[in-house]
Amino acid sequence: MEIIEKIKTNKSDDNLTEIQKICLNKLQSSPLPNPKSELWRLSNKSKLSNFLDYSVNKKDSKFDLPYSKNSQSTIRLIIGENCQIKLIEKNYSIQQLSEDELQKYIMEQISFFKQNENWSDLLNLSLSCKDNILGLKINGSKIPPIEIFSHASSNSFNAKTLVIFLEKNCDVELLQVNLGKENSSLSQSTFFCLKENSSVNHGVVSYGENRSNLLNSLNVIQQKNSAYNLGSLHFKFNYARFEISIKQSAGNAKTNIKGMQITKKDEQISTYTKIEFNGPNGFLDQINKSLADDKSHAIFEGSIIVPKIAQRTDASQLSRNLLLSNLAQIDTKPQLEIIADDVKCKHGATISQLNEEELFYMRTRGITLTDASKLQLSSYFQEIISFIPISKEKWDLLDKLLNEN
Amino acid sequence: MVNENLVKDVVKEPYKYGFVTDIETEKIDKGLNEDIIKLISQKKEEPKFLLDFRLKAFKKWQKMKEPDWAALGYKKIDYQDIIYYSAPKQKEKISSLDEVDPKLLETFDKLGIPLTEQKKLTNVAVDAVFDSVSIATTFREELAEHGVIFCSISEAVKNHADLIEKYLGTVVPASDNYFAALNSAVFSDGSFVYIPKGVSCPMDLSSYFRINSGDSGQFERTLIIAEESSSVSYLEGCTAPMFDTNTLHAAVVELIALDDASIKYSTVQNWYAGDEEGIGGIFNFVTKRGKCLGKRSKISWSQVETGSAITWKYPSCLLLGEESVGEFYSVALTNNLQQADTGTKMIHIGPKTKSTIVSKGISAGNSKNSYRGLVKMGTKATGSRNYSQCDSMLIGDQASANTFPYIKSQQPNSEIEHEASTCRISEDQLFYLQSRGIEFEEAISMMVSGFCRDVFNQLPMEFAAEADKLLALKLEGSVG
Repeated sequence: MEIIEKIKTNKSDDNLTEIQKICLNKLQSSPLPNPKSELWRLSNKSKLSNFLDYSVNKKDSKFDLPYSKNSQSTIRLIIGENCQIKLIEKNYSIQQLSEDELQKYIMEQISFFKQNENWSDLLNLSLSCKDNILGLKINGSKIPPIEIFSHASSNSFNAKTLVIFLEKNCDVELLQVNLGKENSSLSQSTFFCLKENSSVNHGVVSYGENRSNLLNSLNVIQQKNSAYNLGSLHFKFNYARFEISIKQSAGNAKTNIKGMQITKKDEQISTYTKIEFNGPNGFLDQINKSLADDKSHAIFEGSIIVPKIAQRTDASQLSRNLLLSNLAQIDTKPQLEIIADDVKCKHGATISQLNEEELFYMRTRGITLTDASKLQLSSYFQEIISFIPISKEKWDLLDKLLNEN
Repeated sequence: MVNENLVKDVVKEPYKYGFVTDIETEKIDKGLNEDIIKLISQKKEEPKFLLDFRLKAFKKWQKMKEPDWAALGYKKIDYQDIIYYSAPKQKEKISSLDEVDPKLLETFDKLGIPLTEQKKLTNVAVDAVFDSVSIATTFREELAEHGVIFCSISEAVKNHADLIEKYLGTVVPASDNYFAALNSAVFSDGSFVYIPKGVSCPMDLSSYFRINSGDSGQFERTLIIAEESSSVSYLEGCTAPMFDTNTLHAAVVELIALDDASIKYSTVQNWYAGDEEGIGGIFNFVTKRGKCLGKRSKISWSQVETGSAITWKYPSCLLLGEESVGEFYSVALTNNLQQADTGTKMIHIGPKTKSTIVSKGISAGNSKNSYRGLVKMGTKATGSRNYSQCDSMLIGDQASANTFPYIKSQQPNSEIEHEASTCRISEDQLFYLQSRGIEFEEAISMMVSGFCRDVFNQLPMEFAAEADKLLALKLEGSVG
């Protein structure tokens, strides 16, 4: 594991930033996550070591975007391509965070990190160099949609970091695309801070290629009256983990999450979510869908934490899973931890295959089995895809999902 | 908030079964080592295979670590500070109940357990276990007429050694977990049931566990075997006196159901739970597991857990036989500083197996109540189904309710459904009941009883009534 060796030996490199030094220091005592902990128990060990088995790439080669710009107004940013942005318009402004602001915010976040729970972030921050960190401060309304790309070049390990501040009363649509090239590893950490009354429709599409790996971590802090909507899709990765941590810092906020992961061949994709309500009147509606085919393994673990202060929380979580092959596996574990008494919390989980009655019905109407299954799958996917902003019409994700492989 | 002051005014009902029976007991020294195990085995005049079983388990236990994954917090148990064998002194052989120490009979009478044969009307056969030994088993002759064997496990070791050797440790192996290994090494008594082929047991069987001394642990072992096409309903009850020290109870229950057999195992657990400050109470670490070996066999667990300072208990079913059925119905109530981490495991191995889980957790006071369950569909479990429902009710804003269901499927041709919800006493319902002249306390208890209805319906009649009363009693003074 080249990366781990690097972490162990890398002690006093003067080029390192303060953040990198702190994270490296934290990692050095135990460079790998505890394989027995709940968060890492099901993770495939050899896939994880494969993920860490590339050398760190600091400079990216140019890469081709997967689809052309939707319209002139869309703002496109590519992390690592030294993009400078400063847009100050009548209704809105998008500016880069100053180095001080960035450092201050990340340092504050690190102080809450736990070795095991935030291992992915520690790894990311210790390896992501200055050029690969993008910090944005977004203000105003009627902002054109924003697309942010992060990608991994072949045969290398790439660490990219994104920090976004949404100022008060701001309203934005943002799509994050993570692309993995053949034999690559991408570590992507995203930090979102939603100030009061702000709202965002956030899309995360992670799309890999042959034997690419992804460690995607998303940390969201929601202040009062903010609304965070997340639509995510992960597919075609040999090994991928999507770790979501959302904190409603003072309650009274809304969170909607619709996520999906699709595994084929011998892939392993997992989603871990942790949603904490630190104030009253919080709202959560979450659905996570998985589809596992061939010899693959899909994992979902979601926890909802409602402490005493979070009275009148309304949270629901649903995990729906399709298991399509005899050799595939699905693990799902929705969890509730509740101390407040005046709350409405529920969760559900199902694992099944395609509905036979529906298939039969369609076949009696002359639709072939393949088409009937595709129809069923497309309705299964559609609920999530339609929730992902921007890309939904232009980038034909549904076609990609149904027709590839 | 539901009227808090009213609640605080309500008189608290003390733990009814908290008395100690003053009886001469034979205890061995504190501590655990090979010599102690040999001594226990020798006292019980056990055959060699059992001593070997114990010693092997002890060796494994020494290498094991106490599990810490449960959502429980308790001070470390000193396993060398426990007496592993304690028995009331009585005449060597007892031929009839008349020879049992009257003080013991009186104890069980006080607990409402009919040991004297006059109380035949109740039509429940009882095996009464006092500390480490079984003191009496009723209705043996009647049961023997049907070929049913119902006796203490020590007697079974002597009289039916072949069955014990064949089945003991086959469902819960000695190395299964820390507490099962400890039990396998030091188990002192428990019940043994054997239902022969084609027999439907003519009456409910019951065992009653009573811990009497404060410094000895209770480690009983129950083994129930239901042969082809047989059926049995088994009830288990537990109480203990009030001590301000914690007493350890680590039991193992093994059930085996062959083709078309069915076993129904019901528990009302009311060990002493400690006082409001959390002082004293039983540490209840129990491993219960049933194996549906045969085709169309069925094992049903129903439990009402109201006592114990700590409950760590996961009655499980291994569904091996084709079309076998596993069921788990549970009500767990925690109050004051009680902690419960309970649930079930349904392991679907054979094809067309079915399981149902209904769990109701009620947490009041400062207590912690967790449901932890596993549903697993193995690669061969085609056409299998599981349905789970876990509901929690929170009473007061200091209690916590957690749900941790693990679901794992390796079989596309199976279906798993799980749902969980959390709620509290509905103020509308409470208002409605109170406006009809029903007292506050009674209204709460009616609502709790309604919340648990799905589970109570599964309990045998005499237990259902008792459970209802028990719940109302336990909640008294805690509703807020």
